[in-house]
Order: sequence, then structure tokens, then C-alpha cells
Amino acid sequence: MKRTAFTPWLFLAPALVATVLLVLGPVTETLWLSLHDVVLFRPRVRPFVGLGNYIAVLHDPTFWSSLSLSFVWVAVAVGLQFALGLTAALLLNRQFWWRPAARALIIVPWALPSVIIGLIWTWMLDFNLGIINQLGVQFGLLDASVPWLAQPSTAMAAVILAITWQGFPFFCVTLLAGLQSIPREQYEAAAIDGAGPVRSFYYVTIPGLMPVMSTALLLRMIWVANSLDLLLVMTGGGPGTATQTLPLYAFLKAWSGADYGYGSALAVMLTLMLLSVVIFYAVRSRE
Amino acid sequence: MKRRSLLTGAAALAAAPLAAPHAQQPVTVRWWYHFDDPTASPAALVADFEKANPGIKVQAESIPWGGGADYDTRLYTALIAGNAPDCGMVKFLNQPRLMEMEALKPLDAWIAAWSGRADISEDLWRLSRAPDGKAYYLPLQYVVLYLYVRQDWFAQKNLSLPTNFDNFLAGAEATTGGDRWGFGLRGGAGGHDHWATFVLGGGAKLGKGGLVSPAALAANRWFIDLFRVKHVFPPSAPSDGFVQTIANMKSGRTAMTIHHIGSANEMVAALGDAITAVPVPRGPGGAGWTDFGDGSNAVFAASKNPEAAWQWIAYLSTAAANVAFNKLAGQVTVTTSGAKGWNAEPQRFLDATVASLPIAATLPPTSQTADFTRTVWPQTTQKALLGQVTPDEMMQTFEKLFFG
Repeated sequence: MKRTAFTPWLFLAPALVATVLLVLGPVTETLWLSLHDVVLFRPRVRPFVGLGNYIAVLHDPTFWSSLSLSFVWVAVAVGLQFALGLTAALLLNRQFWWRPAARALIIVPWALPSVIIGLIWTWMLDFNLGIINQLGVQFGLLDASVPWLAQPSTAMAAVILAITWQGFPFFCVTLLAGLQSIPREQYEAAAIDGAGPVRSFYYVTIPGLMPVMSTALLLRMIWVANSLDLLLVMTGGGPGTATQTLPLYAFLKAWSGADYGYGSALAVMLTLMLLSVVIFYAVRSRE
Repeated sequence: MKRRSLLTGAAALAAAPLAAPHAQQPVTVRWWYHFDDPTASPAALVADFEKANPGIKVQAESIPWGGGADYDTRLYTALIAGNAPDCGMVKFLNQPRLMEMEALKPLDAWIAAWSGRADISEDLWRLSRAPDGKAYYLPLQYVVLYLYVRQDWFAQKNLSLPTNFDNFLAGAEATTGGDRWGFGLRGGAGGHDHWATFVLGGGAKLGKGGLVSPAALAANRWFIDLFRVKHVFPPSAPSDGFVQTIANMKSGRTAMTIHHIGSANEMVAALGDAITAVPVPRGPGGAGWTDFGDGSNAVFAASKNPEAAWQWIAYLSTAAANVAFNKLAGQVTVTTSGAKGWNAEPQRFLDATVASLPIAATLPPTSQTADFTRTVWPQTTQKALLGQVTPDEMMQTFEKLFFG
């Protein structure tokens, strides 16, 4: 077969077609909806409002509170997942007899559906019947049961705990793969130069892991920023709006409130913010 | 007569006037339904109907309820996408939206010629009639919310079962202590029914200005104080949903809660004779309010087989089939003949249901009501329970939503 300039496009065609149908199509539709006043139960009336929905979003105090909660959600959840994942990866990179079993077990939370995880943690944290309160009181860690999901001061922390448990295996597995790709000679050279474990970690491990770390962090930030399943199952955004992040607010507006125009504008705003993270990553990668 | 043959007979009776045209041209009727118990299946009813109506196949599709939001939104999107079922289960709450979409087919002519009409009470026909005077809904099931009470705890304290707000509060305070609470409030989505009992029953009205009148504001302050001042709800009440309130009652954490006959059997299985039900307490002056939980079927305007769809839904509202359906659904039959021999739950729970009918009502059928129940009520009430807004600000939010 003769190769032409057209050949690469031929191979890319299936992926391009799928991307256009499954990504670009819905994105364009969302953009179009965001410029209209679309209420689901008024299908015959959907006036063009231009940037009206976006202007309303910027004047909506719930948007700003949801946005700040999203920042907290992403920063704390991804930070904890990363720290826990890195610690677990460093431990699993050592030799011990049950390492294969540990590697298999650690992936379990990642393999479970989010809804199941949400239900498991909801019941574990339950005020009346949850095991966390029962054990906490029994071992003297708590004076009395705590309504973790019913207090604004603890609800977000409780859901972050659940998503940390769900997400740290992703970091663990990817960072473990990165650790195993760092040549042993670099550690040996560092040791010859007098570096102890801490200095080896800073000057060999961290630089060696950097490409994997930045990619994993970028991916996980986008996933966590977009995710609403755990929040929806565990708190529904409550109590009040204490755990209502931006994607959850967009979902509730569109799905429960039937206001697809406004919900689409919220979704587009979130997408633009996440795109800025992707662009930053792409530029940095090129450098 | 065996149950199966009774159902078949009912199916034939329901379908008789219209069966002939379909005998030679088989059609498929798509029907959407939801049961609280996802393992319940209407397959036996479908089989009986199809046996009596060989020209009609029924494709019954179970749709997740999700507190109403999932089912309704799926229905709206299916209607807009042109992929809606021929008929499906609906509630009064979404009638205004479905009418606004011009999605409903009037059933008046069919109902007028239907032999099962007289077996459904005039009250139900009146409740299901749309604001434009037409009948788009065919009654299928109902429940009325009542108050579950731990009668053994009340007896230990020498208290009579609650009938009004005063002795409700006295009972709640007397049974609160340690790891027990007097009342299990559903503060999550769907809990507006609990709030309405105390606030609409306490003097608030669902008309312009009626949610911010002095009586309404006082009733709402009293309701919020039950949590913030009297501490008779569990601390988890702001986020408790249906599952938690029922679990708390069954596990002996709460002395009272509000629900309907659909949970009676599991309550009895857990607590036996210790639990009973009474009508929800009445407010000052004897006024009261409890939620009439309706369930109907509708034929959608875009259906290509509306007559066959009507035959199926008419069958489901006909005596024996309706009884069988509601035993699956955990609700009460709408037929007068079926109610006479009703034995799906212990009698005391049916008695409480019937005794609650005089104060049973529904929220106003407006386009805002669904948004109120799904989002505005839980978010605003949770904030008031947690002291983030005042009870009066809570009521002003509701007034603004409904009446601008």
C-alpha cells in the first residue's frame, strides 16, 4: 500500500469520528443551549438570550459560593489523594512477602462504583447506626455520636474522606509505575555522593517521578472537579448548600430544576476553567 | 374463583368495548412505572392482560424514581425527544408541566364509557381533574401520610397518642432522652411532607401572602424550634432522608415519624405491636394538613396507539387488577370494591389512612411545586434548622418562589 499524506488521517478517522459525535457534538449543543432560555417543560418556547445566562451566573451568589467550594473540594481531595497515594506507592515499592496481595487489595476502592462508595460511607458515617460513630464512642475518641453529614462544619470533610479513599489507589498505581522506571544506578550514584534517604527522595525520586506526577495530578484534578456522584449520593449538596460544588449546582439546575439554559451556562463556565488547567499543562509540557 | 382467572376476567371486562379493532392488528403499548420496591414486577398483570387482549403487547418499563426528580426529568426528556412511552404513571405534582408541554391526551370520552368508573369514588375523580376541567389522569393508587407512634413508649409514660400539636410536643419531649428522640424528621429531599403537616396544618396557606402571614410565620418558628430549642429531632435530621427516618424508627431511635402505609409491613416486622399509626396531629383550632400521595396513569398525546394504551391503564384501575397492582406497589387501591376486602397490611394502618382523609390535600399544582419539593424546600429548611437563615427568611423564600 502506498503511503500518502492522507494515510495518518485514515488511521485517525475512527477516533476523530467518535470524538466529533461524542464530545464535540454535545459540547456544541451545550454552548447553544447556554445562549437560550431553555426550560425543559416549555419545549416550544426557547428564546435566544445571548450572554444573558452568563451575566445572570456572574450575579448569582450561589455560583460564587459553589465555585469556592469547588476549589476547596479539588485542592483538599486531590492533595490528600496524592499524599496518600505517594506514601502507599513508596511502601509498595519495597520488598515484603505479601506485596502482591497488597497491590491487588489497594486497587479495590478504585474499582468500586462511586454510587456504592457513596452509600457505604453514608451508612458508615450515619449518626444513629454508623460504625464510625459507634467505634469512636466505644474507644473514647468521641464524646457522643457526630452527625457528620448534617453539619456544615463536617459534611464537606466527610465527603472528601470518601473521595480520598476512592481516589488514592489511582495515584498509588501510577506513581508506583513511575518509581519502578527510575534507574537504580541513580540511587547508587546518589549514595556514593553521600546522599541519605531524604536527599535521595528529593534529588532522585521526585525529579524521576515528575512527568508521571504532573500528568496524574492534572487528570485527577479534572476528574475530581467534574465529579458530583459522591456529593449527590452522600449529601445532595447539603446541609443547605454546604457541599454544593459547581458541577453539582449545574446538575441540580438542569436535572432537578429543568432549567437547561442556565445549567448549560454553569457547565460551560466550569469547562472553561478546567480548560485553562489543561492549557497550562500543555504549555508547560512543551517547554 | 382463582386470582389469575379473576384478573383475566377484569382484563377482558376493561378491554371489551375496544378489543375488536385490535384483534387483527397487534400493537405494542410502552408503559412506564415505578415501584418503591425495585424487585416487584408487574409481569403477572401484563400476562393476564395480554391473554385477554391478544392484539396488544405491553412493554412495561421500570424507571428509577429518584425522589421524583429522576422519573419526571426522564419523562420530560423522552417526550421532547419523541421517544416517550404510550402511557405511564404520573402524579398531580407534574400535571401542570405536562399540560404546558401539551403532552397529555384527554381521557374524558373513554372514562365516560368505562364500566369501572363507578368503582372509583367521586372524591378521587374530583382530585384528579385538571384545572382546565378535563380528565388527563386515571386514578391508580393513593396513600395518605399518617403518624407512626411507638405506642409502648407512650404507654410507659402514661401518655395518650398524639392528636394535636400540644400533645404531640408533650409526647416528643417525654420520649426524648439518651439516644432516643421524639420525632424523626426527614430534613432531606421529600421531607416537605413533614414540614407541611406542622406549618400548613398550623395556619400557613398556599395562597399569595399565606406563607408569610403572622400565623404562618408563628407555625414555622414553632416547627424550627422543635429542632433548635426543644431538641426533639435527632441531630442528623437536617440531612436524614427517607431511608434514615425509617431505619431510625425501626431501630428504636425515634418515637414518631411521618410516612404512609407502604412502610407498615416492614415496621411491624421490626417492632410488632409496639408500633401503631394515627392521623397526623392537628394544629390550633383543629385545623390539620397531611399529604395526599396520589398515583395515576396517563396516556401521552404523542402515542400512536392511544386506544390500546387506554385499555391497559383502564385494566390496571379495574377492581381485582388494581388490588393486585397496589399490593405490589405498597399503596392503597382506588377501587371501592377492592378496599372492602383489603388485607395487605394490619387493619390499624388502614384505619389511620382512612381517618386521615378529611385533612388530606396536595401542594398547589403549579410549575414551581416540583422545584420547591426537590431543591428549594430541602436547601432552605436545612439552612433554617442549622441557624444559617431565620425561620421567617425561610418562609419568605417559599413565598417568593410560589408567588413572586
